[in-house]
Formats: sequence, C-alpha cells, structure tokens
Amino acid sequence: MGRTLTFKIFRYNPTKENDQPRIDTYEIEETKRLNVFTALNILRETQAPDLMFDFVCRAGICGSCSMMINGRPTLACRTLTSDLPDTIELYPLPFFKLLGDLSVDTGVWFHEMAEKVESWIHTQKEFDPTAEEERMDNATANKIYEAERCIECGCCLAGCATIQIYPDFLGATGLNRIGRFLIDPRDERGDQEWFELVSTDEGVFGCIGMMACDDVCPKDLPLLEVFSFIRRKLSGIALAKDK
Amino acid sequence: MPLNTELYPEAESRHGRSSEAYRKAKKAIRNEWISGLTGAFLALFICGHLVIESSILFGKDVYQTIAHFMEHTVPMAQPLIFIITFVFFVHFVWASRKIPGKLHERKRMMELGLKLKKSKKQWNQDPKSDIKLRNHFETSLWIWQVRTGMIVLATGAFHLFLVMWNIFTDMGVKGQEIGLTAEVATNRVESGLWILYAILMLAVVAHMAIGVYRLIVKWLADTWFVRNYAKAFFYLLFWFYVILGAAAVIGLAGPWEGALS
Repeated sequence: MGRTLTFKIFRYNPTKENDQPRIDTYEIEETKRLNVFTALNILRETQAPDLMFDFVCRAGICGSCSMMINGRPTLACRTLTSDLPDTIELYPLPFFKLLGDLSVDTGVWFHEMAEKVESWIHTQKEFDPTAEEERMDNATANKIYEAERCIECGCCLAGCATIQIYPDFLGATGLNRIGRFLIDPRDERGDQEWFELVSTDEGVFGCIGMMACDDVCPKDLPLLEVFSFIRRKLSGIALAKDK
Repeated sequence: MPLNTELYPEAESRHGRSSEAYRKAKKAIRNEWISGLTGAFLALFICGHLVIESSILFGKDVYQTIAHFMEHTVPMAQPLIFIITFVFFVHFVWASRKIPGKLHERKRMMELGLKLKKSKKQWNQDPKSDIKLRNHFETSLWIWQVRTGMIVLATGAFHLFLVMWNIFTDMGVKGQEIGLTAEVATNRVESGLWILYAILMLAVVAHMAIGVYRLIVKWLADTWFVRNYAKAFFYLLFWFYVILGAAAVIGLAGPWEGALS
C-alpha cells in the first residue's frame, strides 16, 4: 500500500484552438486493486477535469478504453496498477484518428473493415421464422464463438507495424472476422470469392508475421491459429484451381 | 431473400477466373509460396551445410573424405552450387518485397516522419524515462531478419562465387586435386577470410532461425506446433548452430582443427 503513482499522460485536444500536444504529469496514491481506468477517473475528478478518455463497460467487454499503457496497447480497465512500475505513461492508440487526449475513433475504421469483408452471412435462403434453427456441429460452433469474442478494441492494429505502413491492410481483427465467416457453414460464399477477398497483400499475405497482435490482444483470441487456417485454406483453393 | 446489393455494390461483383481480382489474388499467394519455399529449402541446406562443415573438428582427413565423396565419388557439389546460387537470388528477390522500400511505402514513412517532426517533439517521451516504448521482441526480430538478410546477400554472394571457383579449379596449385579440399578450405579461412566467415555464419544462422520461426507460426500455428514450441525451436536452432558454426570457423581457422578427433 501507499505507493505514489506518477501518471505521464499525453494531452492534446485537436478541436481546441492553439492547443499543443504535450505530456502532463499527475500523481495519485495507489489503492488496493486499483486499475488504470479507475485511476483515470480519479484524476478526472480531482486533478484534470478536461481529461478525455473512452469507457463504457468497465469490464473488458466494450473495447472502448484501449490505450498505450507503458508502450503496450491494452485495455485500461483490465490493467492493474500493481502490475506496473511507479511511473505510468499513457498515450492514445496510434493508427486511429485522435479525438482528444487518450480518446481515439476506432468506430469508423471498424465500420469500413466490416463493409470491406462483407461481415454478414451471405445466403440466398429465405428466412423462415417458424422453422427450427439449423444445426451446426459443436466444434464449428465453438470456433465461431472464439472468433466472435473480438471486442473491436483496436489493440491488435495499434501493435501492428505492418498496418502503419499499409493503411489498407485488414489487420488481425479483419482477418479474424474473415476466418469467422469462412468456417461458418451458413455462409454461402464460394471458394473463389474468399480467395479474391483474402489472398491479397491487403489480406492475409500482407501479414509479415511479427505476432504483436497475438501478444497484445486483451481477449487472447487465437489470432495466429486463424491466420494459419486461412493461409492453408487459400493454398488449398489455389492448388485445386490449378488442376 | 437475395441480398440487397444496392447498399453494398461490392457484394455482387463476383468475377471470373480471368478477372483482375483473381489474377491479383493468385499472384499474391504465389509470391508468398515462392519466398516461403525457397526460404525453407535454404534453411534445410544451411542446417546440413553447417553440420558437414563442422567435420573439420574431427580433423582434416575426415573433412577431406567427406569433401572427396561429395565432389568426386558422388558429384553432388557441382550441381548443388548452381542450384543454391539460383535459389539464393530468387529468395532475395521474392522475400525482399516485404521490405517497405517501394515508393508509396517510402512516402507513407516520410508522411509519418513529417507528422512527428511537425509536432515539434513536444510530446515525445522523456529521454530519461526508463520505460521502453515500442519494445516488442518479434517485431525487433523482423528488423534483424532484414538486416541479417542484407549481410547474407553481400557476404553470401561472395562465398558462393568463391566456392564455385574452388570446386571447379585447383586454385592454381600444381598437383592439387580439383575441388574444395580441406587444404583449400582451411587456407582461405586462415588467410584472414575468417572475419567474413564469422560475420556470414552469425548472420545466416540468425536469419535462418528467425525465418523458420516465422514460417512455422505463419503456416502451422493451428496445428500442434503452436507458437510457444516454434519459439523454443527458434532458440534451439539459433544457439545450436551459432555454437556449432563458431566452432567450425575456429576449426577452419586453425586453433580447433581436429579438436574432437
């Protein structure tokens, strides 16, 4: 008990005239089981009323409070200060549009990504609300569930060196989304459609394999497994087409 | 119910096999295969090469027996040197496409750099801070893979040329057997080339170990060969071959020659 934590926080409000990016320093007393999100709330209540950061759920489900904590993109609400040194440096996520201080706009990017990968079940079947639901085997359902756990926090993109240079790259979350629909038996998209969508330098072959997405994902999604699956699936499609 | 494609015009653009999109996708996967397969082939070759090279630790006679076998009894060295040289350059051309050196990539980096410069660095991290930002092991590994790749390109090309020369000539020494004999191999390293070989060995082993790690994670991460195993394998490969390679270079340079015999 009783550590004094020093927060060095990136401050900049692009909407304010003549505002300059700067690092402000704050100090607070550490309390038991304090997390960074709660600390930010304390700071806003007591020292910096204009500090901007995002949050909704406070429980690692909404993906809003992602930020760079000591150089690592992660969720503020799931980071205990007891795991951090006395000095805590907070920056907004790179790559996304800065709204102010620690708040970035992840929504626009995720919306565009969802449109690009057509993130919905493509089917020609007529929906019958009275019919019994179609069955799916348990293993597939579990895999889809795993991929669906993505909370769109954007940490994987902030950690990715590739996407900083190729802004069109789909990123780990985009590829994970593709993997989710690729294994869904209800999606009627054919091999060739998948092939054209993912077998590109914006898709899975833009990935250099630096694995930062896998290291920083706060939800521990099996990202590398999904990419391997996609790569081999595409290879299968490409080889089959050659015959 | 058919999809309402008015909202999403891309949703209906399903092309034939001759379409631009299909050709592009085909090219992307072919590029990935070529760089990956040539890399895997060269990695296998290096693993074998360094083990055979280390026979110098059992003395010149053992080394010479193996060299004679591979050059004269079963002449595999002669075609292999051309195959390796070819694959070496193919791997360079195809793997280097991942280095952000194209014009639009340089532009993007310039743009990022200018943005940082324009901000007058007022929000840069305190230089006295002991918190390491952007400290990610596998990302650093990639940067080292590029660096070692460049070193291998320069030193390895020289090595390949020299070996080609050695294999097909008697190096002007009358009465000497044509080929890369133990005498030639030790003489060239002793005469000062050990510097080049030490650099080449370190670079090639690091490049190979990192590349194998990446290949396994890229293609096999959803099998039993998960990332943790791949990383352990990376350390094993790296340290085993660095120690073996260092011993071989010291062996060829003189001091450790025949150390194990």
